[in-house]
Amino acid sequence: MKNYDVVVVGAGPGGSIAAMEAASRGLKTVFFERGRRPGEKNSSGCGLGPRMWTDFHFMKELTPDVCPSMRAGAASRSYFVNKQGVVAGYVMARPTESVSYEPAKSFITMNVYRSDFDPWLAGLATNAGAELKTSTLATGLLKENNRVIGVIDENGEKYRGLVIGADGVVSMVARQSGLRKRWGQDHVTLVPQYDFAVDPQKIDDIMGDETLAVWWSALFPAAYQVFFHDGFHLGLGNWMTWWDKNPLHYLDQVVKLEYFQRLVRILDARPREYHAHMLPWLGSPTSTHTDNVILVGDAGGFPCPLEAEGIYPAMVTGRAAAEVAADAISSSDTSKEFLDLYDQKWQQTSIGEEFKTGPELARIWRALPFSPKETMSWFVPMIMEILGGILDWSQPHAVRVRQVMRHVKSYLPQAIPFVMRDVLPLLEKILGDKMELLTNPEKLIASVPELQEAIASAFEEKEGRT
Amino acid sequence: MRANIDSLVTRIPGSADFIKLDLAKCNMCGRCLIVCTMGLWKKKGNKVHIVDDYKSRCVECGACYQVCEADAIDFHYPSGGKGVVYERG
Repeated sequence: MKNYDVVVVGAGPGGSIAAMEAASRGLKTVFFERGRRPGEKNSSGCGLGPRMWTDFHFMKELTPDVCPSMRAGAASRSYFVNKQGVVAGYVMARPTESVSYEPAKSFITMNVYRSDFDPWLAGLATNAGAELKTSTLATGLLKENNRVIGVIDENGEKYRGLVIGADGVVSMVARQSGLRKRWGQDHVTLVPQYDFAVDPQKIDDIMGDETLAVWWSALFPAAYQVFFHDGFHLGLGNWMTWWDKNPLHYLDQVVKLEYFQRLVRILDARPREYHAHMLPWLGSPTSTHTDNVILVGDAGGFPCPLEAEGIYPAMVTGRAAAEVAADAISSSDTSKEFLDLYDQKWQQTSIGEEFKTGPELARIWRALPFSPKETMSWFVPMIMEILGGILDWSQPHAVRVRQVMRHVKSYLPQAIPFVMRDVLPLLEKILGDKMELLTNPEKLIASVPELQEAIASAFEEKEGRT
Repeated sequence: MRANIDSLVTRIPGSADFIKLDLAKCNMCGRCLIVCTMGLWKKKGNKVHIVDDYKSRCVECGACYQVCEADAIDFHYPSGGKGVVYERG
C-alpha cells in the first residue's frame, strides 16, 4: 500500500487541475491515466471559452508550440437544412456589442485537439509536484469497513488517500463508491463524430475566422462542426432512448448533404478519424461526493446544461475539489458531511450560477436540437420563411408579406405550445418578478424611463414637422 | 463513411477482456444492437452476443453498458495503454 493525501483517477482537464491544485497546496498527490499519455482516449470536449483566460492564469501560456491544433475564431454559423436536405439558409454571428470583456470580444471558442491540450495540462500538474501514472487503469476502490480508503490499479498496486473521481462519463469511482451505477437514460447522450483533415491555409481562406457551425434540421439531431488548425470535427448526439437506428445513420445524413459535400470538395477535406463518446447532460448534478470521495467534471455530471461545454466545468470543479480536499485533510475529516463543502464551493462558481437555471436550459435544448422530428420540422421552415420570404421578386411585396404571414401563422399551433412549455419557464427563472413586464406593456413603459423619453421625443418630432 | 468506419480508428492490441454479457440477465430488448455505432452486438435466434473480435473494434464509448437496463452488460475500460487511440480527439 502506498500512502498519498490525494489519489486522482483520470488525467483529463478535471483530473489534471485537481492534481495540480492539490500538489501546489503541498498535498502528496498521484493521478492516473489509462492511455499512454493524457488525451489519447478523449474525443471532443474541444472548445475552450474566453472565460478560461480570466479564471485560469496559466492559459496565457497555451501557444501553438505546445498545442499545435489550437484555433480561435469569432464567428459561428447556424445552417438551416430543410426536409429535402437543402440548406435553406444560414445565419452567421459574432460576439455582440454587449460582451463586456476581452478576450470574449475577440473570439467565442478556442478549439483544441485533446491529444494536444490534455498532455499540456497534465504537465502543469506534474510540474507542481503531482505524480502521473500513465498506461495504468484504476480498476477498483479500496474499502475498509465499507468506507472507501483509496484506489487499486490493474496490477494490484494499492494507493491510499482521498479519492477524486475524474474518470469521465463511465466512472468507475462513481460506480464503486455507490454514487451512481449508470446514468438515467435521459441524463446522458451518445455522440458519434468524424474528424476531417484540411490544409490550414484552406481553412483560413474559405472559413475565415469561423470557429464552429451548427446544422439544424428535421432530418437529424443538430450537428456541430468545429474547426481546428488543420481539420474539423463533425458530430451529433442525442439521449440514449432517442435512437431508433445506428447513430451513424444520422451522422451520415449530414455527410451526404449536397451542401456539406460541396464544402468537403472546396476544403479538400479528408476523413481522418472516427470517434464515439457519451456525454452527461443534466439539469442539476446530484450525488457529487460521499465519504472520502469527490467526483469532478463529466464523472460528476458537470457539463453545461445548455450546450454541454465540458472542459471549463471540469477544471472549475477540479479546483474546487482540491481546495475542499486540502481543508478536509488538514481537519482530519474526509466524511461525506465535511465534503458537503464541495457542493457549497462549486455552487458559488459560475458553474453553480449556470445550474441555477439548469433544468430549464437542459429542457429547452432537449426540445430544440435533440427533437428534430418534433421541433425542427416546423422551426426550420418558419425561420426561413421569416428570413428569406421577403427577398422575393415573384409578387408585389405587400402580397408577399401577406403570404409569409399566412404561412408563419400555420406554424403557430406548434410554435405556441413550444414557447409556453419550454421558453416561458426559462424566462421566468431568469427574469424573476421582472417577467411581469414582458406581458404588461404599461408597466414596461413605466419602468423604463428611456422608453418614455423616446416615445415623448418621437411625438414631439412629429408635431414639429407638421 | 459507415462502410469504412474501422479504417478510421487506430487501436493498440493486447487488452484483457473488458465487456461481458450475462445471458441470464439479458431480456433481449435489443438496445445494445442499436446504440453500438460499431455494430458489435448481434442477435442470433433468441440470443444476443458480442462479436468475437470486439476488442480490436470497440471504441470504448460505454453505450452498451449504459443502455442495458437489465444490467446484463458489464463494461470497464481496456487495460492501461491498450485499445483505442485518438490522435485528433
